Amino acid sequence: MSAPLSSLESSTITEQLLLRLKIPTKLRNLEATLILFAMIITSFALALVDLGATGHLNVSIIGLSLGLGAIVLAMHVAQRFVARDADPLILPIVTLLNGLGIAMIHRLDIANGLTGWQSQATRQMVWTAIATIVAIAVIVTVRNHRILQRYRYVWMATGIALLILPLVPFIGVTINGARLWVNLGIVSFQPGEIGKIALALFFAGYLVTARDSLSMVGKKFLGVRWPQVKDLGPIFVVWLVAMMVLIFQRDMGTSLLYFGLFLVLMYVATGRAIWFVVGGGLFGTGALVASRFLTYVEGRFAAWLDSFNPTIYESIGGSYQLVQGLFGFASGGVIGTGLGAGHPSIVPLAESDYIVASLGEELGLVGIFAILCLYLLFISRGMRIGINGADDFGRLLAVGLTFVIALQVFIVIGGVTRVIPVTGLTTPFLAAGGSSLVANWIIVALLLRLSDTVRQQRDGGDVR
Amino acid sequence: MSELTLFVLRFGFLAILWIFVFAVVFALRSDLFGHYTRRGERTVPDITVNPAAQAPTFIPPVDAPVNADPARTLVITAGAREGLEIPLDADQLTIGRSAQSGLVIRDEYTSTNHARLQLWNGDWVIQDLSSTNGTFVNNQRVSVPTPVPLYTPVSIGSTIFELRP
Repeated sequence: MSAPLSSLESSTITEQLLLRLKIPTKLRNLEATLILFAMIITSFALALVDLGATGHLNVSIIGLSLGLGAIVLAMHVAQRFVARDADPLILPIVTLLNGLGIAMIHRLDIANGLTGWQSQATRQMVWTAIATIVAIAVIVTVRNHRILQRYRYVWMATGIALLILPLVPFIGVTINGARLWVNLGIVSFQPGEIGKIALALFFAGYLVTARDSLSMVGKKFLGVRWPQVKDLGPIFVVWLVAMMVLIFQRDMGTSLLYFGLFLVLMYVATGRAIWFVVGGGLFGTGALVASRFLTYVEGRFAAWLDSFNPTIYESIGGSYQLVQGLFGFASGGVIGTGLGAGHPSIVPLAESDYIVASLGEELGLVGIFAILCLYLLFISRGMRIGINGADDFGRLLAVGLTFVIALQVFIVIGGVTRVIPVTGLTTPFLAAGGSSLVANWIIVALLLRLSDTVRQQRDGGDVR
Repeated sequence: MSELTLFVLRFGFLAILWIFVFAVVFALRSDLFGHYTRRGERTVPDITVNPAAQAPTFIPPVDAPVNADPARTLVITAGAREGLEIPLDADQLTIGRSAQSGLVIRDEYTSTNHARLQLWNGDWVIQDLSSTNGTFVNNQRVSVPTPVPLYTPVSIGSTIFELRP
C-alpha cells in the first residue's frame, strides 16, 4: 500500500485525476457489458420459451423485457454519476436472475392460458420496473450510508409495524394459511419483505453500539464460556418476536429468517460462536414445541419426513406440492426438458414458491447449478463488501443484507429439494411477487452504495 | 422449427448461461477490489509502514526529567508480518487501518485510527484512540495513555508487537 501511495504523491495532479477517472470507468464499462449480456440471455430464454411451448416467436414480450433492461441500464447510468466506484457485478447478476424468473413465469402463463393483464409475467414485469425505479431512487438519495445508522430506532419501529400490519383486521389477508399479506384495494403486498430491510438496518445500528457489552464473557461451564445472563435480553426479545410470527402469522420461513439474521449479525459483531449455540437452542426448542401444538408446523414436518406416504401425499396441505416438485426435478434430469417443453405447471404455485422446481425441470441440473452459482457470486460480492467495509455499521449492514438473501435462498431451495421442511418464502429475484422484488432491489441499491464507499475510502483517503 | 434445431438452441442456452457465470468469475479474478482480490492475498491482513505520516511534533513539559535512552525499534512478534522491525525515528507513531497511519494494520479487528505511540519525557506511551476492539498492554486493556516498557507485548487486533532498544 505504501509504494503506490508514495508514487501517487510524486505524480502530478492531472495524472492523479486521470488515474481516478480511469479505474471507475473501467468498472462501469464492465458492468454495462455484463448487463447487455444478461439482457441477451433473457431474450434468448423468452424466445426459447415461446418456440418450445407454442412453436412461434412472441416478439412483443421480448420487446418488453428489453424495455426492462433499459431501466436497468438507466440505473447503471445513474451509478456513473452518484456511485462510480460501486461493485460492477451485482447489477448484472441480479438482472439475469430477474430475467430468468420472468421467462419462467411467462412459460407458466402459456401453460395456464393466461394473457394480457391476467398474465403473471406482465405483472412481474411491471413490478420489476417499479422495483428498479425504487432502487434508482435509493441509490440517488442515500449518498452516505452512515446517516441510516442515526435512525436505528426509527427502523426498529418501522420493522415491527410492518411485521404486525398483516394482523390488523380489515387490511390483513390470509393467503394459503399464512397471514402475511396486506390488501389495500388495488394492490396487495407482503409488508414483511420490506420489514426485513428495516430490521437489518436496526440490528446493524444497534449491534454497533451494543457489541462491547455483548462480547463480555461470563462463567465457564461445560468447558465453554457462556454469555452473562443480563446480556441475554436482546436475543430473548428477538426470539419472542420470531415465535410470535410463527404462532400468529403462521409463517415458519419468515420467523426463521428474522431470527437467523439477528444471530448472524450478533456473531459477526461479537465474534463469539456461543451465540449460535444459545440462539439455535432457543429456536430449536421453540420450533419443536410449536410442531406439537401448531397443526400447520406439524403438517410441514410430516410432509418433509414422510413425503411419499400416500396418506400424507393425498391429504390437504400434505406433500402433494413437494412431491410434484421433486418429480419435476427428476423429469428434468441433467440437461432438462428444455424451456417450454416440460410440464412445470402441474406443481401448485409453480410461479412463486416452486419456481426453482420449474426451472429445474426445464433447465435441468446444469441450469439449476448455474442459477445457484449466480446466487453464490452475488452473496460472495456482498460478503466481500462487508469484509472490506471501512466502518462497523457499514460492515454489519452489508453482511446483514447479504445474509438475508443467502438465508432466503437456502430456506426456499432447501425446502423445495427436501433438505429442510418447506416454508413459504419467495426465491429472491426469481419468484413472482411484487413486494419481494421491491425489497430485494432495495437491498441491491444499498449494497451498491456500500461498495462505492469502500472503494472511495481506499482511493480517496480516510473518510471517518 | 425442427426438433433438432430446438435441441441445439436449448443446449446453446445452457452453454451461454454458464459463459455468463464464468465471465463474472473471470471479472472477479482480475483486479476489481485492487490488490484485495488477488488470490492468496485476499484474507491476509496487511501491515505497512508509512514513513511519510509525520504527525505534529509533541513538545514535552520542560521541567520533567528526560529519559536519555528510549526504545528505538518496534518489533512485530505475532501476526501477519511477524518479525518486521520498524525504526522509531519520530517521536510519534499512529496505528490503524487508515492509510494515513504511520503503521497501517489492515485486519478485521483494527479501527481506522486505532492507537498512538508517543514519546513522552523519553518514555514511549500508548494511547488508545477509542478503538472498537481495544489496545492491550501486557494483556490489560488500555483506557488511559499507558507507558510501554521495553519487551512488553502490546496487542492490536491479531498483531502483537514490542519495543526494543
